[in-house]
Amino acid sequence: MVKSNSFATVCHFVLVASVYLFLYVPIIVLLVFSFNSEPFPAPWSKFTWQWYGELFTSSSFLWDSFFTSLVVACCATLISLTAGILLIFYAAQGGRIGKFLTLFYGNLIIPETVLAVSLLGFFTFAAIPLGLTTLILAHTLLGLGFVIPLVYARFKELDYRLTEASLVLGATPIQTFFKVTLPLLRPVLVAASLLVFVISFDDFILSYFCSGSSSQTLSLYILSMLRSEISPVVNALSALLLILSSGLVWIFFTLKTRTKIF
Amino acid sequence: MKTPQLAKHYPFAIGIPAVIWQVVFFYLPLALLVAGSFLIWTEEGGFAGFSLEKFTFFFRPPYFTVIGASLLLALSTSILCFLIAYPIAYYMAFRGKKWKNLLLFLLIVPFWTNFLLHVYAWFYVLEREGILNTLLRALSITHEPIAFLNSTFAIMIMMIYYYLPFMLLPIYASLERFDSKLLEASYDLGASWRQTLCKITLPLCSRAIKTGFFLVFIPSFGEFAIPELMGGDRVMFIGNVVSQFILGDETGSLGASFTVLSCIVLVISALVLYQLLSWFLKPRATTW
Repeated sequence: MVKSNSFATVCHFVLVASVYLFLYVPIIVLLVFSFNSEPFPAPWSKFTWQWYGELFTSSSFLWDSFFTSLVVACCATLISLTAGILLIFYAAQGGRIGKFLTLFYGNLIIPETVLAVSLLGFFTFAAIPLGLTTLILAHTLLGLGFVIPLVYARFKELDYRLTEASLVLGATPIQTFFKVTLPLLRPVLVAASLLVFVISFDDFILSYFCSGSSSQTLSLYILSMLRSEISPVVNALSALLLILSSGLVWIFFTLKTRTKIF
Repeated sequence: MKTPQLAKHYPFAIGIPAVIWQVVFFYLPLALLVAGSFLIWTEEGGFAGFSLEKFTFFFRPPYFTVIGASLLLALSTSILCFLIAYPIAYYMAFRGKKWKNLLLFLLIVPFWTNFLLHVYAWFYVLEREGILNTLLRALSITHEPIAFLNSTFAIMIMMIYYYLPFMLLPIYASLERFDSKLLEASYDLGASWRQTLCKITLPLCSRAIKTGFFLVFIPSFGEFAIPELMGGDRVMFIGNVVSQFILGDETGSLGASFTVLSCIVLVISALVLYQLLSWFLKPRATTW
């Protein structure tokens, strides 16, 4: 394969290893201190599950914000996925959506701060009270920006002979769509939903501007913790969220789709 | 290639919700933002003409500094991310072998976890009593703890930490599809690794590099959480000014015009960056 001398290979390996250390040292420290009985910056004293217990028993505030984030992420994923599928359904009938597609590129191109500011202005202008609804509206925009280009790219690669065969064999267009086209698109639909879910769940900027005082997302809760008191409960929470995201990334990997994250 | 077609039975109305959503909640607010930045309204909400007053308010040195600082932040973040990401992506694509997927997995897990938790994790490393200071003192490099937090250093560490995958993933995706026979051919014909890099590898993945640059440059231009949390409000960036104006009382419309103004700067600098990158990445006769 690529010609290389061993010294360069070793240097390259050391570089890669140090970047991964850079990525993982903070995480490992965070996890280690979630088992420390004394809150940081006290040094290590003794092993405890105490903070995990507190995570599940106390601070209903934390779980409220967790469920707000969950609801917003699920709704944004569902809405953008449904809207995306409907648009593809139209395209599957020969509708030309190429020109509409460019409409959706903006969502990912403009800085999120600008999107958030313009939405906040719009909500004030239209007298929509800030809260769960506005959060879902805003996050769905991010969702559309991912779902539509990704799903359409895969849809264009589908073998049109399959749908033709289905139609020739007497299936109605609706049957064809649900029994041929949609199953073929399943991997990319799952991948796109995962992506939207994660992005919405972890989103900070849109939530910061569009949440109002009534509903707080997990990001905002963590921010308030960072600004006020730092408690090892946050470490325990991080451990939980890292397990959650590892699980999601694992699902993403097993899909074996050629969907690129970008 | 022909796209799969069903008979045309259903009207466009079926496909339209996404388009309506996009127009109402994306383009309309943006249009309002731009309009609001130079239109003037009377007390009763009537139309009272145009004015550039809200823009000229920002033509003052402190705001030039803010915009300059944001440009510098975005540019240095994207360049540093590129310098780190390229060798890693190269390693994953060509030398990773069976570790390739594990490396990719380990890269994406932090990327898919709430970034505020990473800010929190870096506090542990950079605090006065944190890991880095403990380590430095144990090695007796320093005796007094160094204040790493609330500095440009801390901001840059966090920016690179957060934005690295945005640069790495597109470059990796392009290198992975790269035909390694091209590299072999280049080496067989006597090119050095530098010539191969400049004439073959970089030009052929220039699209991915440009994508990576914009995925880092554009969001980091408007970034405000990282500078605020890691930099302790020492340096102001566009994101901080915008959020202060927008969330403050009575200053919302000024915030809107500052947002529009910084978008104009962003578009111009993105175009310049694009030209620079195209020049930098084109195949050339001599190596640098």
